[in-house]
Amino acid sequence: MKANLYDIQNIISNCVLQDDKIVLKSDLHNTIGLIKKNYGFDMLKEIIAIDHQKDGIELMYRLYSTENEEDLVISYTLSTSNEAESVTDIFSSAIADEREIYDLFGVNFLNHEDLKRLYMSENWQGNPLRKDYEQNN
Amino acid sequence: MNMLYFLYIEFLAKYNIPQWFGDITFYFIPGIIIFFALLVVILFLVLIERKLLGWFTQRKGPNRVGLWGVLQTVADALKLLCKENITPDKSNKVLFNLAPILIFLPVIPILGIIPYSSEFTFVNLRTNMLIFIVFASLPVLCILLGGWASNNKYSLIGAVRNIAQILAFELPMAFTLIGIAALASSINLSDITLAQNNANGVVGWFIIPNIIGFIIMFICTLAELNRCPFDLPEAESELICGYNTEYSGMRFAMFYLSEYSMLFANTLFISVLFLGGYLSPFGKYLAPILLPESIGNVAIYFEQAFWLILKSFLIIFIVIWVRATLPRMASFDLLKFSWCWLLPISILNLFFIIILKCGGLCA
Amino acid sequence: MNNSRLKLNLGPQHPSTHGVLRLVLDLNGEKITACEPDVGYLHRGMEKMAEKLSYIQYLPLVDRIDYLAGFFYSELFCRSIENALEIELSNRIKAIRVMLLELNRIASHLLWIGAFLMDLGAVSPFFYAFRERELILQYFEKISGQRMMNNYFVFGGLRHDIFDLDDVEEILRILPEKIIDYENIITENPIFIQRTAQKGILEASDAINYGITGVNLRTSGFNFDLRKTDKLYDGYEFDTVVLENKDSWGRYKARVLEIKESIKIVAQAVANIKTNTIYEATKIKPVNLTIPEGEYCSEIEAPRGLASCFIISDGNKAPYRLKWRTGSYYAVNLLRKLLVGTYINDAIAIAGSLDIILPEVDK
Repeated sequence: MKANLYDIQNIISNCVLQDDKIVLKSDLHNTIGLIKKNYGFDMLKEIIAIDHQKDGIELMYRLYSTENEEDLVISYTLSTSNEAESVTDIFSSAIADEREIYDLFGVNFLNHEDLKRLYMSENWQGNPLRKDYEQNN
Repeated sequence: MNMLYFLYIEFLAKYNIPQWFGDITFYFIPGIIIFFALLVVILFLVLIERKLLGWFTQRKGPNRVGLWGVLQTVADALKLLCKENITPDKSNKVLFNLAPILIFLPVIPILGIIPYSSEFTFVNLRTNMLIFIVFASLPVLCILLGGWASNNKYSLIGAVRNIAQILAFELPMAFTLIGIAALASSINLSDITLAQNNANGVVGWFIIPNIIGFIIMFICTLAELNRCPFDLPEAESELICGYNTEYSGMRFAMFYLSEYSMLFANTLFISVLFLGGYLSPFGKYLAPILLPESIGNVAIYFEQAFWLILKSFLIIFIVIWVRATLPRMASFDLLKFSWCWLLPISILNLFFIIILKCGGLCA
Repeated sequence: MNNSRLKLNLGPQHPSTHGVLRLVLDLNGEKITACEPDVGYLHRGMEKMAEKLSYIQYLPLVDRIDYLAGFFYSELFCRSIENALEIELSNRIKAIRVMLLELNRIASHLLWIGAFLMDLGAVSPFFYAFRERELILQYFEKISGQRMMNNYFVFGGLRHDIFDLDDVEEILRILPEKIIDYENIITENPIFIQRTAQKGILEASDAINYGITGVNLRTSGFNFDLRKTDKLYDGYEFDTVVLENKDSWGRYKARVLEIKESIKIVAQAVANIKTNTIYEATKIKPVNLTIPEGEYCSEIEAPRGLASCFIISDGNKAPYRLKWRTGSYYAVNLLRKLLVGTYINDAIAIAGSLDIILPEVDK
């Protein structure tokens, strides 16, 4: 089913259409599952995390439908608790992405099967890609 | 050999050394000569392999150390001598140190029984071929010794896999050897060589009726030597440690060099069995024709040794050529290949040879 | 011993050219029951550096995200900036870019062929592949001064015009015959087929779920090639290589066929360059360049899969956030699933067939 962004906005109650991307306010996991099942977005190209210092960390999910050849961007801003639901049971490619975001931004993904640092060593303190990260040599 | 014995006793008598000393030491001399000749041959072989592999892959081989790279193996051996000899803590130290020494020993008897010329062989026993089979299988035990004594689970697995591979290829080799023995009506290597004597040279060699046997023997030799495409036990040291993981320095060099010495011994053996040993491919020897009478009669023996070594190096060239070309076989496929294909083919070949022989098609 | 569970560490140093990848394998006897890749040995902080460096300062670093396909990432970065500043490239520049991208793809695939066969034990194809790759790298050195990591694309054009195409035509003449050589020695080789056919089976639905793109996905029967919808490749005729094999052999065959398709594209690009003789690059002042606020995303079909660059700019001279998406990142993640249930012999071969390069994974 070809995705009409206005349709999605109407059907899923907790999102807002802004600049060609869908902004979710809550319920990340179920919404993404719904979008995959109903609209055929079967590839998660990447998860991008952006640190908007005072406004919190924003996660952008870039989905792609191989059948209809279209992209969809879903944005979700985290609250100060920096926790989000993991989507690894919907898209297996998220396993590595979420570990990277946990490592570099400090976002805790709930229900992730193996959440640990990806790039940094295990006893590293701090989250390097945050804007307020101080480098101690 | 008798002549040399008397020469030796005369030589010692000049210096007033008693005869019993000469009696005892005389039998060590062949071993010492072979040992030193072996060192030279190994030096040469390692270099040849690297040069040939370079030629096949459009590179030059080693060419820095010595003219044309001749001293490369010496440099490698010196390097390995300078490395630290680590012995694992919980290993069986006696056996661990014994394995690399023992692996060098079986080569010397093998080189002693090969007929280098019609007059000269270090030791001439009636049952030469059987001696070869016995001694060619001894390195297997040394590999098991090394793998077990390392006290490393994966060394042992590697060694055991290696043994499975060698055992699998022993049987087709044995059937091929029986075929040769049938053709020559003897299991003495000198008699086998003489049985291939034919005025027309190449026509009499056993490779012609027994071409399948030659191919099977060649494949089995590759497997016994752990050479490509059957070198999974060695290459597996990428993943699972092979039997020589825990060895460093000179002990590793022993394993490495013994592989080349066995290569030389095995290819000499194949040339005796299939390619006519010391016989000339032209049927007649060139020395009496090309050289004046007095030298020609003695030079004939050297010419025979020359033909033998030339044939052996021809087979070594093919072995290295195969290594440069083919990827490795996985171990299960390798064993399947041996038990399901090589063994039946070698048995059928044996029947074929016996029929040929009984039918009088070959002498 | 066969039923023991053991953790085996594969890497981070490899005898073969895999880069610094560490795989922690759980073994049950010979079979792998779990595999966990451990990356991060080559993490250089590319994304964090981008937030501190201006765009022109960051441009030389971009080639180093994948050293074998430096032109692709350079193109990605330049494309994002050009989209942001709404710059149209002239035809000659577009044709030159396509030619260089496809030559880079050929070089990358050639190296993969050599490295994959080295993993399997065949030593010669590595050198033959490098011989051909050498021609391409020498051409890159001629035009940009460097063999890899060329730093040749800039925003709005190239550093300077290319001055001759004779070398490229020479490459186009030589390469097709050499590929026939590779096909003869490798593709139908029974040992190679035994090691790679039916190993590492990847279904299309699994691949899409794991984010796999590029050759790995196309070998599973799914037609997904970004070059068909890329504006840079407008007007070029080539076929997408889609195979139904799903195994390692299929991935090998697909890459060889892709080299042939790339040769076609290079030939068409050379013809385009010859017809568009006017070189005009858009003049941009690179120092303290700023791009308008917003989010810009560009994608390209790199040799290892879909690659994309996502820039968020807030009007300053450095981006607010820069994110790279690379193909090998998800291929390493796929190893968690693909290696389970295979034998350890096959593990290195399967991991090698996915064409993983670590700088892409570790950024």
